[in-house]
Amino acid sequence: MLPALRRSLLAWLLVLAGAWAIPVAADAPPVGTLDTVGSDTMAGLMLRWGELLGRRYPGLRVQLQASGSASAPPALTAGTTLVGPMSRPMTEPEREAFVDRFGYPPRAVVVAQDALVVVVHRHNPLASLSRRQVDAIFSETRRCGAAKGIRRWQALGLSQPKGRIVLHGRNAVSGTHGLFRREALCGGSFRPEVNEHPGSAAVVAAVADDPLAIGYAGLNHLTPSVRAVPLRDAAGRLHAPDPQAVRRGAYPLARDLRLYVNQPPGEPLPPAERAFLALVLSDEGQAVVDELGFASLSASTLARQRRELGLVDDGA
Amino acid sequence: MPKSSSSPLLRRRLRQGRDRLATALITAGGIGVIAAVMAIGVFLVVEVLPLFWSGSPEAPQVDLDALWQPQTYPGLEAPVHRWQPALPDSDPGPRFGMAPLAWGTLEAAAWSLVIAVPLALGAAAHSALFMSRRLRAHLKPTLELMEALPGVVIGFLAGLVLAPWLERHLGLGLTLLLLLPPGLVVGGALWSRLPARIRRWLPLGWSALWLVPWLLLLWALARWLAPGVEGWWFGGDLRGWLAATLGLDYTNRNAIIVGMAMGFAVMPSIYALAEDALSGVPSSLSEGAQALGATRWQTLWRVVLPAAGPGVFSAVMIGAGRAVGETMIVLMASGNTALMTASPFDGLRSMAASIAIELPEAAPGGTHYRLLLLAALLLFIFTFLVNTLAEVVRTRLRRRYRRLGVSS
Repeated sequence: MLPALRRSLLAWLLVLAGAWAIPVAADAPPVGTLDTVGSDTMAGLMLRWGELLGRRYPGLRVQLQASGSASAPPALTAGTTLVGPMSRPMTEPEREAFVDRFGYPPRAVVVAQDALVVVVHRHNPLASLSRRQVDAIFSETRRCGAAKGIRRWQALGLSQPKGRIVLHGRNAVSGTHGLFRREALCGGSFRPEVNEHPGSAAVVAAVADDPLAIGYAGLNHLTPSVRAVPLRDAAGRLHAPDPQAVRRGAYPLARDLRLYVNQPPGEPLPPAERAFLALVLSDEGQAVVDELGFASLSASTLARQRRELGLVDDGA
Repeated sequence: MPKSSSSPLLRRRLRQGRDRLATALITAGGIGVIAAVMAIGVFLVVEVLPLFWSGSPEAPQVDLDALWQPQTYPGLEAPVHRWQPALPDSDPGPRFGMAPLAWGTLEAAAWSLVIAVPLALGAAAHSALFMSRRLRAHLKPTLELMEALPGVVIGFLAGLVLAPWLERHLGLGLTLLLLLPPGLVVGGALWSRLPARIRRWLPLGWSALWLVPWLLLLWALARWLAPGVEGWWFGGDLRGWLAATLGLDYTNRNAIIVGMAMGFAVMPSIYALAEDALSGVPSSLSEGAQALGATRWQTLWRVVLPAAGPGVFSAVMIGAGRAVGETMIVLMASGNTALMTASPFDGLRSMAASIAIELPEAAPGGTHYRLLLLAALLLFIFTFLVNTLAEVVRTRLRRRYRRLGVSS
């Protein structure tokens, strides 16, 4: 629950040799251990991909240290891993440190899309929110241009519920908190009244308990006990937070989930990394994305990235 | 005979050597503990000093005003206290007002003492003076078990079970609060009116047991009355009434929840120390008072409590020290909102919880990191002072008891 605890959490993916596994590659199948260090949002994805990979290539296993996106760049730069999952783009200093060491930038591969949703209690009749309203509810700076802050449900034109809006969100060190602050609050600062929870699941649970609550969480944490509020864009169009809208690029609070890969320009990837990326960008790999509640990539994006990585021949 | 005389000598030498070794080990252990405590203090001071003294490239010098006075931040109209250390450096810049954290820490400790002190002292006085010895022998281990309950478990229950429950049953909570104290007084009055024949079956020393059905009855009564009370008095919606009439908005993770959970955690230690102090009062004093015609209540109020006063005081101090340093309960039950409001229905954020949440992510050597260590230093100094005070008072008391015991 605590970041410290999470940080020390090592997810060991041990994959047993399945008797039914079919060797796909014509030449010697890749064996060994693929070490990855990075995002905890993507831990579930990495785990399932690791399982699938082990089924495809017995003898190859994926080891994941899911300690947060911030741990990926140092591990890539130090050379302890060649693949770092991150739920946010690398910052300029992180990128520069990598370039200083290797002389070329790390390659970013988009592997899935995530979105932040604004959730309310399931009985809350709120129809939609504009970005300005979201900003007026959550921030005290109102950089998105609202004239005054919104503290009560009545100010949103609702007759029910009555009372002060109770705010829930992630703790300040999480990528989710940072993304919501940048995108939904236009880079302003949160009200100090926002309850800080250690995970998106805790935010959803807190909102589910309280008819006066509102909160934000990752798309994959939605449960039937809360309702995701559609967001209105500047033109007044409604965008419901579903994977289709995220894939179209229409939903305002979307983010790309990436794997950063250490690939020297002009050289092919080592066989283990190559097999892993081929799996992730395959239809089978993308099915896992949908299953876990994220948004999978469009066919054209997948094809383009496979081409860029030189994976055209062995994609599933 | 050389053999028979040397063997006991050798054995004595051996024993002396062993004793000396044991003494040396114990002394070394004691000095080691003291050195470790001092080293923690020195480490914190060394890490914090650059903030006020020289500054460093990663942590420029800060002045006390910026930490403890309200600041006018860009984008806000009025000067405010804000603890928002994780905002990016360039825009809008981190905000390091420590006053909300200090406020949250003290507020949480104060509410937990408000809840724990009356209950713990009442229990201590009852079990020291009125309770039957057999029941007391069962009660003390139970309370010790309560003390052994990990804070994270209490915090979890408070945050995920108690907070949502109380929010849904606010009316029942209030009714219970209003009904229980008079209900217990009525119970006592009824008991004293009972014919002696029945009263023999309900001895005073066992009241802690036979009051349980009475309490359940009161609970049932409160459940039955609560909708009526809420409907008739507060228009059917206590939460709405609080907001409309008193301007108090109810947040479900609030200071009262923290106070209840942490009160539960500090109660056993306050009880144990207070009970020791009260039952340690020389029996010559209370027996003398009763022989002169004082009732049990008068003995407690006029003789035993004044004599044990310092001990009771030190028990409360120890409880306060524990409440200020408690981390997991506040972290899980409070919502961690760095606010400075007096409303008991608002959330709070304590120093200890901030350290637990933020330290793993703060860049070592940076301003944020050093400020968290400053919070740690303040907690260290506070608990050190409180515990020392409590210990001094207790030693004084023990000396006084010895004098009283001798003079009688």
